[in-house]
Amino acid sequence: MKNKKAELIISVLILAAAPLVKAQIKSSENESRWVKWGKADYSYEIKDSFAQRDFSFDEKNPGRFVLKSLLNTYWYFISDVDGDNCSFNPTCSEFFLRSVKMTNIAQGTLMFFDRFTRDMDILGKIGHYPYASNGYFYDPPSLYTLNKNKIIYMPPSAVVSNE
Amino acid sequence: MRKAFLIVLLIFSTSLPQDKKPGDSLNLFSPPNIKKFADYLFCQGDYLRAAGEYENYLKTNYNDTVEFKIAVSLCSMDKYSEAAGRFADIPPASALYQLSKLEFLKTYFLKGSLTEYRAKYSAAGIKSGFRYSNEAESLYNFSYLLNDGPLPDKNKFLASYMGSDRDSAIKFYNWKEDPPHKSALAAALMSAVIPGLGKFYTHEYWDGVFAFLSTGILGYLSYSDFKADHNFRGWLFAGLAAGFYGGNIYGSAASAQLFNAKVNFDFTNMLKNFLSLRNYFIPNINFCR
Repeated sequence: MKNKKAELIISVLILAAAPLVKAQIKSSENESRWVKWGKADYSYEIKDSFAQRDFSFDEKNPGRFVLKSLLNTYWYFISDVDGDNCSFNPTCSEFFLRSVKMTNIAQGTLMFFDRFTRDMDILGKIGHYPYASNGYFYDPPSLYTLNKNKIIYMPPSAVVSNE
Repeated sequence: MRKAFLIVLLIFSTSLPQDKKPGDSLNLFSPPNIKKFADYLFCQGDYLRAAGEYENYLKTNYNDTVEFKIAVSLCSMDKYSEAAGRFADIPPASALYQLSKLEFLKTYFLKGSLTEYRAKYSAAGIKSGFRYSNEAESLYNFSYLLNDGPLPDKNKFLASYMGSDRDSAIKFYNWKEDPPHKSALAAALMSAVIPGLGKFYTHEYWDGVFAFLSTGILGYLSYSDFKADHNFRGWLFAGLAAGFYGGNIYGSAASAQLFNAKVNFDFTNMLKNFLSLRNYFIPNINFCR
């Protein structure tokens, strides 16, 4: 009889203490996490890649000045409003600018038209280009200058982090 | 009864540690134990810590096998210059001396500078009375397959290979002699005749289809606009069609170059995998039996 009473008292005590212990464990866990990892500031905002566009002008070269003016206008009034739609990194307009800088206006324009054709190809991109770290297909103009020494081939399985 | 049992258990458990003498086998930092631990790490592939433990061992005892294992560990961690120095330190009296010479050359091969590797090979005097001269020559010949210089004579190249290695060497030599490259000029000419054909030639089938469609549709739009006396739109579409046409010719030539770069990349990878599987023609010593 005495044993039964004792068992009952112990059970009641355990049941009463259980939530307190649980809460204590949880708070200490959280505390240790805060201490260990630091508080994270969560943000669900989608970052615009075009927010970091370089709208500066190349004042030394008149041809590039005209081209950059046109591209700036396109970026400001069309591309940025339309959204982040190009599946490549660098984007087609950025590719055009870099191509012209790497070669000349004629070759750069041909490189751009070729890139635009490849961009239209909605069926053959996956498994063909390596990925940039932001998830886009990595396709730099250095691969298309017709200068063999500038080609650094990367397999589609590669992920490029510095672009 | 229970008390008696507990007392016996207590006495037994306290008496156990007294049987062992503190000293020899419990001294984890004695040279034999350090070596044992280092061997364990080495066989587990933890080369960084294995090399560290072997270095500790060498402070008190010299052992050429340990020196050799340090060099192998460094080489496995891509620390080729340090590994080459350690392999060069193996004394001529050691049973591992000849093997260390092979490993020494391998580190220079892996380092990437083939000119430096060839200079080291010539300086090593491999041909005169060297036990592994055939193995060394086998790796030396493969260095010609990894750069764009002229290839040696086929018979001379294949002389050091036997059995399945010879078959692989023939395959690699033939590939290098006549790689399955595509001509940029041919690709450009094909696209000039039929837009997109050059891309088919370089195995970019979908790009070829879209190049044909973009040029064709824009050309047709231009034609129909001129026909309907819409001259501005006619010229606009004609300009775009010309741009896509020219861009495709250019792009086909660029695509052929990229195709060749891919072929070279695959060949180099295949060659490196083969050499890695064959342990660079170096006889395998299993230290972890």
